[in-house]
Amino acid sequence: ELDLLPGEPKWLDVIERDLHRQFPFHEMFVSRGGHGQQDLFRVLKAYTLHRPEEGYCQAQAPIAAVLLMHMPAEQAFWCLVQICEKYLPGYYSEKLEAIQLDGQILFSLLHKVSPVAYKHLSKQKIDPILYMTEWFMCAFSRTLPWSSVLRVWDMFFCEGVKIIFRVGLVLLKHTLGSSDKLKSCQGQYETMERLRALSPKIMQETFLVQEVIELPVTERQIEREHLIQLKKWRETHGELQCKSPPRLHGAKAISEAEPPARQALEPVPSIILPPGPAPVPKARKSKEKSREKSLATPANRPGAEGNGAPGSARELLHPQGSPHHQSKESLSSRESEDTYL
Amino acid sequence: MQKHGQKEHLYKLLVIGDLGVGKTSIIKRYVHQNFSPHYRATIGVDFALKVLSWDAETVVRLQLWDIAGQERFGNMTRVYYREAMGAFIVFDVTRPATFEAVTKWKEDLDSKLVLPNGKPVPAVLLANKCDQGIDVLMNNGIKMDQFCKENGFVGWFETSAKENININEASRCLVKHIIASESDPVPTVEPDIIKPHLNSSKIVSCSTCFKS
Repeated sequence: ELDLLPGEPKWLDVIERDLHRQFPFHEMFVSRGGHGQQDLFRVLKAYTLHRPEEGYCQAQAPIAAVLLMHMPAEQAFWCLVQICEKYLPGYYSEKLEAIQLDGQILFSLLHKVSPVAYKHLSKQKIDPILYMTEWFMCAFSRTLPWSSVLRVWDMFFCEGVKIIFRVGLVLLKHTLGSSDKLKSCQGQYETMERLRALSPKIMQETFLVQEVIELPVTERQIEREHLIQLKKWRETHGELQCKSPPRLHGAKAISEAEPPARQALEPVPSIILPPGPAPVPKARKSKEKSREKSLATPANRPGAEGNGAPGSARELLHPQGSPHHQSKESLSSRESEDTYL
Repeated sequence: MQKHGQKEHLYKLLVIGDLGVGKTSIIKRYVHQNFSPHYRATIGVDFALKVLSWDAETVVRLQLWDIAGQERFGNMTRVYYREAMGAFIVFDVTRPATFEAVTKWKEDLDSKLVLPNGKPVPAVLLANKCDQGIDVLMNNGIKMDQFCKENGFVGWFETSAKENININEASRCLVKHIIASESDPVPTVEPDIIKPHLNSSKIVSCSTCFKS
């Protein structure tokens, strides 16, 4: 129903300016006014109507574009809502406070993960928001090779923001984590350049995923650090201007947080599900092995969460029906195409 | 490979202005000598380096900081602006609203950053997309020279990243003013400060955690 409403002109103008600037070489988004761009417009516009106080943030466009590569527009919209409200609450809001706070959390966690990298960044006075804004706000969709993006997103949907932190920490550790690596990072600019042009080796799917799985950074640590940084933030900046709901760590936490009435209804959508996609809790277990299965989790989400949208459960009857399954964004995505098609 | 006796300057330059005015395109044209209609929207900040042979004795290295144009990223500009020596403020000649935003960007810049001598950083105004043939300046009869004077710009250029018009010229103009402002004797008001610094007003943002 949001699709039919006109939308606020100031957001529509900005969204339209961004439509041709998302994955511009992906065949789905390459043509001006093509189906990909039209759907992207519908999804982003619907979000500004769903949350008029938040409006549109440029970093939402790549997120929505990746979702649209995997599912029809309505499902993509509800997935975007889940990401913006449950997985990464406050990231795209007017003041961008949540992302700045997460920058501090990331930096503090880095102290434990790689003291060398931490010391180097401190010495050169490189604020986390200089390198992690795009990483986190776009969930690495514009940073990693495509096959790694898919793996990271699968894990992110299952386990929540912890995965994003871990990927960031792994990249920092393997880029700036030894005195040998720091030799070519004499100045602030050199370091920034190094973080922008990351080594393909450390972004490679199997290496990165293994490192992310092994990195001992837990939800509890992140929550504890969140409280510490929130306290510091209040001391220096005052109260947060954007009151976001608490962050939920992954699919299981989100479905458990649903009101009981929803829980009771849960078996219903899982019965409608076709045999392919696994239900959310199972996907969590099988995430490392089966990309095909876990890829279905984002598509499950709108139905599982319900959101009071009568249309979304119906959508599940024909999920994965999208013709846009080819992902040719990245040169290094040869492998992903094989697995993916 | 620096020749004997050659001087090298390193300057951080900001490229700011509203969303979609062509900041990224200008930088790509200037640094890589090409143009594409397929640049991605900038999220946060991006960087590029341009090396100029200024004259026989001087090499100038320019760090160009490409800053996201959407208003909400303005909450991070304090960090992006730090230690910059000059700025390009860009607008799109085909969209009057982006010109109206120029003063807003200039105020944001001057409120968050000053040179060691207390003066505002040199800024050049770029009227981009001048190849499009739709010119709000002419239509509105705005006197650009006067606008620049009133708003503290050291100069302005009609530019086109697509057609490679005036971008080198604009950069030389800005660098010239930076070199000139550097040779200005630093007044003795704040003798301790050597580098440009942020206005140490209310918010110290995230720098607290860097104090080891």
